[in-house]
Amino acid sequence: MAIDTTIYVRSPGVGSALFDWIQMLTGVGLITFMWSHMILVASVNLGAGAMDTLAHFLEATYMAQVGGPLIGATFLLHFILAARKVPFRAEQQSTIWKHARTLHHLDTWLWLIQAGTAMVILIMGSIHMWTVLTDLPITAAKSAARIQGGFWLVFYLILLPMVELHVGIGFYRIGVKWGFIKRSNRKGLKRFENILTGIFILIGLITLIRFMTLPV
Amino acid sequence: MGRKLKFNIFRYNPLDSNSVPHTDTFHLEETDSMTLFIALTRIREEQDPSLQFDFCCRAGICGSCAMVINGRPDLACKTLTKELPTEITLMPLPVFKLIGDLSVDTGTWFRAMNEKVGSWIHTDKTMDPNVEEERMDNSLAEEIYELERCVECGCCVASCGTANMREDFIGAVALNRIARFMLDPRDQRKEREYFEVIGTDEGIFGCMGLLACEDVCPKDLPLQDQLGILRRKMGWSAVKHLFRFG
Repeated sequence: MAIDTTIYVRSPGVGSALFDWIQMLTGVGLITFMWSHMILVASVNLGAGAMDTLAHFLEATYMAQVGGPLIGATFLLHFILAARKVPFRAEQQSTIWKHARTLHHLDTWLWLIQAGTAMVILIMGSIHMWTVLTDLPITAAKSAARIQGGFWLVFYLILLPMVELHVGIGFYRIGVKWGFIKRSNRKGLKRFENILTGIFILIGLITLIRFMTLPV
Repeated sequence: MGRKLKFNIFRYNPLDSNSVPHTDTFHLEETDSMTLFIALTRIREEQDPSLQFDFCCRAGICGSCAMVINGRPDLACKTLTKELPTEITLMPLPVFKLIGDLSVDTGTWFRAMNEKVGSWIHTDKTMDPNVEEERMDNSLAEEIYELERCVECGCCVASCGTANMREDFIGAVALNRIARFMLDPRDQRKEREYFEVIGTDEGIFGCMGLLACEDVCPKDLPLQDQLGILRRKMGWSAVKHLFRFG
């Protein structure tokens, strides 16, 4: 801690608190969205018709056209707010990596994974949103054709675990930071979060396989 | 016959211009109930009298012997060598100013921290030594005492990713101090005054919830729970201030 030698100290204001609130609320919003998104996409496992019906419903009600860009904006806002904590300076980078390596502490590593996956999601998530939202309507056949091309299969095989890890760790960390996860229930909820992340990655993989085998 | 222990100890004397940071290796045979305090004292007495490290109480009360033991900050006096592998690496606590080898100056940091958070009971009442002290509910007194147990060893600060990256972050110990005074009915500070001290990115909103403080605290203080409570309280305080109610 720096020794404070200021004589006149300005009242801090509520800026930091508001940023933290919005970071948390956008995080909760995006977690809820990502889980819903996974369930909607996974509807293809029940048949192409199921997915098409859901996609049609979202477009007929303009939820995709309006909601899509709104999610994009929330995504960018969340990135900007959370990036305040990410060590971009070389000296901070070196410190946090050395710190994590010596400390042997899982939760410290989880934060590094969260920050690392964030950078990948920022780029790949933006590409994904742009590609999907500029090529409406969403249909199972179009998604299947894209994935069967090969490039997008690799793309989603990378993006899927990145998103699920980020979302799962973020869910746990919001709980810790805002006092919902306490010392008494931390172990159990961490296990629950790990299982949930595993389940979502599994559903994602099954869905990708389904798209690979769907007739185009 | 005890195990043969190998100690890798960080050596550097910042006051000696010829000194270069390096690691020295020492060997000792483990004895019954050997703590790191015993091991380091034997190394200093039998092998290298220039080795610097801090000790006072030898009972986990004074908090002066905190160091990084195989990567984790902990108190050397309450760490038994039998709980460690045969190779033991000892480093000084990061964040704090190095005095030499394993000895760091936590005092300057803690004084600045305590002054910054106003770590005393703020009251305009004058004390009358002839009158009996005001009574306090026993369960509340115990709750305050639970947080008062901090020995200011610095382990929570040294293990904190944020404190390592940003020297202006006040750390779990300072937040725990504030939590303790918030509980105390004798302290007349209002929520807004506490907010001015910790309602920033240098305070509770800088905490990233990595929980290393919770996991390394040698006194097992409930830091995770207190940090959660403070974030909620300060978060609501900001909302109330913004919408001008409460």
